[in-house]
Amino acid sequence: MAYAYLFKYIIIGDTGVGKSCLLLQFTDKRFQPVHDLTIGVEFGARMITIDGKQIKLQIWDTAGQESFRSITRSYYRGAAGALLVYDITRRDTFNHLTTWLEDARQHSNSNMVIMLIGNKSDLESRREVKKEEGEAFAREHGLIFMETSAKTASNVEEAFINTAKEIYEKIQEGVFDINNEANGIKIGPQHAASNATLAGNQGGQQAGGGCC
Amino acid sequence: MVEPGAARTCRRPREPERAGPPRAAMNFLRGVMGGPSAGAQPSGAETIQKLCDRVASSTLLDDRRDAVRALKSLSKKYRLEVGFQAMEHLINVLQTDRSDSEIIGYTLDTLFNIVSNDLEEEEQEENSQKQVDDLGRQFTEIFIKQQENVTLLLTFLEEFDFQVRWPGVKLLTSLLKQQGPQVQQIILVSPMGVSRLMDLLADSREVIRNDGVLLLQQLTKSNAAIQKIVAFENAFERLLDIVTDEGNSDGGIVVEDCLLLLQNLLKNNNSNQNFFKEGSYIQRMKPWFEVGDDNSGWSAQKVTNLHLMLQLVRVLVSPTNPPGATSSCQKTMFHCGLLQQLCTILMATGVPADILTETINTVSEVIRGCQINQDYFASVNAPSNPPRSAIVVLLMSMVNERQPFVLRCAVLYCFQCFLYKNQKGQGEIVSTLLPSTIDATGNSVSAGQLLCGGLFSTDSLSNWCAAVALAHALQDNATLKEQLLRVQLATSIGNPPVSLLQQCTNILSQGDKIDRRGSKVQTRVGLLMLLCTWLSDCPIAVTHFLHNSANIPFLTGQIAENLGEEEQLVQGLCALLLGICIYYNDNSLENCRKEKLKQLIEKRIGKENFIEKLGFISKHELYSRAAQKPQPSFSSPDHMMFDHEFTKLVKELEGIITKAIYKSSEEDKQEEEVKKTLEQHDNIVTHYKKVIREQDQQLEELKQKVNTLKSQNEQLQTAVTQQMSQIQQHKDQYNLLKVQLGKDNQHHTSHSNTLQMNGIQPEEISKLRQEIEELKNKHEVLQGQLREKDSVIENMKSLQSETGTNEQSSQITAGLEHGNELHRELEALRIQIQSQSLDISKLQSEKQELLQQMGLFRTTPYCWGKAKNTASVPALGDSSAVIAAKNSELEGRLLQEIKELKNDVKALSEEKALLKQHLDSVNSTVAVLQNEKSKLQQEVAESKKEQDDLLVLLADQDQKILALKNKLKELGEPVEDEDDIESGDQGDEDEEEEGEEED
Ligand SMILES: Nc1nc2c(ncn2[C@@H]2O[C@H](COP(=O)(O)OP(=O)(O)OP(=O)(O)O)[C@@H](O)[C@H]2O)c(=O)[nH]1
Ligand SMILES: [Mg+2]
Repeated sequence: MAYAYLFKYIIIGDTGVGKSCLLLQFTDKRFQPVHDLTIGVEFGARMITIDGKQIKLQIWDTAGQESFRSITRSYYRGAAGALLVYDITRRDTFNHLTTWLEDARQHSNSNMVIMLIGNKSDLESRREVKKEEGEAFAREHGLIFMETSAKTASNVEEAFINTAKEIYEKIQEGVFDINNEANGIKIGPQHAASNATLAGNQGGQQAGGGCC
Repeated sequence: MVEPGAARTCRRPREPERAGPPRAAMNFLRGVMGGPSAGAQPSGAETIQKLCDRVASSTLLDDRRDAVRALKSLSKKYRLEVGFQAMEHLINVLQTDRSDSEIIGYTLDTLFNIVSNDLEEEEQEENSQKQVDDLGRQFTEIFIKQQENVTLLLTFLEEFDFQVRWPGVKLLTSLLKQQGPQVQQIILVSPMGVSRLMDLLADSREVIRNDGVLLLQQLTKSNAAIQKIVAFENAFERLLDIVTDEGNSDGGIVVEDCLLLLQNLLKNNNSNQNFFKEGSYIQRMKPWFEVGDDNSGWSAQKVTNLHLMLQLVRVLVSPTNPPGATSSCQKTMFHCGLLQQLCTILMATGVPADILTETINTVSEVIRGCQINQDYFASVNAPSNPPRSAIVVLLMSMVNERQPFVLRCAVLYCFQCFLYKNQKGQGEIVSTLLPSTIDATGNSVSAGQLLCGGLFSTDSLSNWCAAVALAHALQDNATLKEQLLRVQLATSIGNPPVSLLQQCTNILSQGDKIDRRGSKVQTRVGLLMLLCTWLSDCPIAVTHFLHNSANIPFLTGQIAENLGEEEQLVQGLCALLLGICIYYNDNSLENCRKEKLKQLIEKRIGKENFIEKLGFISKHELYSRAAQKPQPSFSSPDHMMFDHEFTKLVKELEGIITKAIYKSSEEDKQEEEVKKTLEQHDNIVTHYKKVIREQDQQLEELKQKVNTLKSQNEQLQTAVTQQMSQIQQHKDQYNLLKVQLGKDNQHHTSHSNTLQMNGIQPEEISKLRQEIEELKNKHEVLQGQLREKDSVIENMKSLQSETGTNEQSSQITAGLEHGNELHRELEALRIQIQSQSLDISKLQSEKQELLQQMGLFRTTPYCWGKAKNTASVPALGDSSAVIAAKNSELEGRLLQEIKELKNDVKALSEEKALLKQHLDSVNSTVAVLQNEKSKLQQEVAESKKEQDDLLVLLADQDQKILALKNKLKELGEPVEDEDDIESGDQGDEDEEEEGEEED
């Protein structure tokens, strides 16, 4: 299907926080109650619309287990967005956020948009991390924040879409070099021409038409 | 330095002899080893040791560089020595001298020579190949023992300098070839290791890019994690770009290498396949298959490229992929036109046989189990005249002995894939065999005809393929299994037709008599697989099979015999068929009931023996191979024995049949009973459900009937009232006519001036009677007058004779004669009047009759019965007894109601008939009345006329009498009573005239 932009995402965070469930809920609108440990990385995709434009999201769901860390690090560099997930019912997953963030900042391109997600908001009774704590962490590190539930689908769409909006805005501002695919952004085939002006704003870099 | 182009064009051997040892090295060698003329030559090992010492100890870079270069030139001939002695030093150079790209380049080259087996492959003898392999592996092991060495090598791959990067790529490729998994693991854990290697594809120097592709091929071999990272790094995009840039299938070996890498990335990697599909890369494959019209003279490279391209398509739609993944790729391939492109190649001319075969296999998997694709495939026509469907054209190849074996296998696969989960397609194929649809003109060959032809041809391979193909048309399709039983075959002239089922069995039992090409076992195995598929899960087919009393003895005979190993498979299949005849037996044939057949097995074969023979099938060496994948692929035609779908059937039935055979007849009976009662309960429930449904339907129908009858009845009633009013109208008309008649009578008779017509018949009649009475009176008066006149005439006669002169007397005589004539006329008149009065009395009696008939006609008041449709269907209870009771009660009630309704309907229709009768009789009465009315009218008219005549006559007579009187007066004869008579007459006449005027 034709798209205006293609964004690459990664989902990171401790094992068992619900990364795969978030992806499954987003792509298939399903919930998987059994923990199906992710081995390495799994791929998923979906089309969304922002500002009337079709945007294709290509999402790589990474394994949270320590042993896969070296593999999953390979995915930071080419991603435009990252969902950093913790589990609101397990404080340790919140405590590990600093490590995750350092890792991400070190291996990714500096413009990568990071969305902090406190998942399993449906388990209010077992909550260990207050929403305010998540908000504070996000504010402190310049992240967007949201609490979600992959089980009830609450805020799941919003999490993926708001991340895309942030990336989209950065493109409009000319922060992203959209001609470098290593940034995890690709212009759709038929939109290459219409984005020539955008490229121009970024300091006269070519991209000139290129459709024919 | 070597020019990049050279390496590209002749990549095999991977590295061409890179010129001889450089001059500097030669000089150096002469120095250390002494010239060829300088007496005893030092051993290679000694020389190498010296060189190693130089590399290790020399403080001058130039010295070290020369030493390494010398080592490099020796590394092919003295591979073992250089490897063992110099490895450590070379690694040292890599660590310490990295600023000098030249020495690094030599080092990497040397290491490559040590590690790689490529160079010596051609030189080495076959038997020493293994030793060489070991050498490369050992040196690799030594090198990678220190993981840092590999990490270090990775950094050299990032160097832009050609003389570093290129040998680095080759060395790493070699290491991966030798110790793939370990090297992969090291690269995987080194930060961004894989990602950095991806940059090689972006190198503008083609040699590096192309060798980079080869490196990635090795890197991605059977490592899903690396495959995913490579894909994440946009490998698909880049590789597809290279393929396009190089001219797709017309491109060179780079295209081939890219395709192989793509295959590595996608094969058995669902995540990457999903990514490939989601990235819309399938669409980019379509141009690969846009071949022109002229397909002759394809280069070997083009054939290879296309082959790989086809395989890549197959990777995406492989039957072993998750079903959802395959089906979404299949749909995309249809929607982007890739399937259509493949079908064009299928029907194109001049395509090399192996490409055609692979194209057929590819189309097979693109359509397999995907309805829209299967439907499209069914619609493809070959560009022949007349156009034939692709399916027919392909089947023709399948049953053609002259076609290559692999092609025939591919066609069979294609046919199987077309029918897989495709009931519509199965139906279409089977229908070409059924009597009603066979094209009698014989103009076009049908799929069914080709399959039958194949089934009974003298080529065993055709037999097998056709049998398996037909079995696939029946797979999981009970309806078609039954329909195929209808197929009859004309065998030879004079003999009655034989059913297809029986003909298959006949060939099995007489197979040995027919001279066949190929293996007899193959034919029999094929037919037995067909029969097993046909009969399984189809009790009617089992009954058909058992119906021929020769079939079971044939099977038991086969199983019981102690035959050679060759026949074991046939025996096993016979046992399976017999087992199916038992398991799917509905006991409809008394002689072949389950337990009878089981007794037969026990008696003639023995249970143990039977089970052992049954086991021959799945123990056969070819069985497990066929069970692996759906595609029929056999190393040789002799190995064509098992069909994949059939192995599934065997798996399913083997256990069931074994259990069924071992079960005692007691257990069998018990199970049967349980099954039966269960079935009965089910049946009862379904039966009652059916009954209720039917009765509901009947009720509905009856309700409708009642309604239509009601409306019919209403219609009839209105018709009756209409008829009545019509009758009334007729009556009125009749009366009117009568009034007119009366008026007419008034004109002429002056009797009925007081008559009033009011349409009421009795009055009418009495009036008529009165009229007649008056008429009679009038007649009497008239007659009286006549008599008087007669007597007057008599008198006058006598007077005349007393006075009579000749003249007078002659006149009188004449007058008398005249009088006589008048008299006669009067007589006639009298008779006429008499007959008239008779007529009138007749009319009267008729009128009476009429009145009676009128009295008969009365409308009967009807009482319509009301249909009571108040039956309610009770809910089905849990226990079947309750259900049964309720059902029977319900049934009773329903029946009662239906009966009542029926009675109602009957009464209604009877009443309807009665009404109709009434109507008819009324109608006929009306007709009679009208008839009589017209008769009456006529008669009235007649009598009127007669009266008129009579009156005219009377007037004449009066005139004559007057004339006679006058004559008598003239003669002087006194005329008596003259005035009286005249005045009386006159008065009458006056009255009449006055009446006329008054009216
Ligand atoms: N109640 C609730 N359970 C959730 C939610 N999200 C995930 N889970 C459960 O948490 C467990 C782990 O979910 P996964 O999505 O497999 O975890 P993961 O982050 O992918 O784990 P790794 O693959 O090992 O990294 C599963 O049993 C899920 O059913 C949620 O929003 N609410
Ligand atoms: Mg997971």
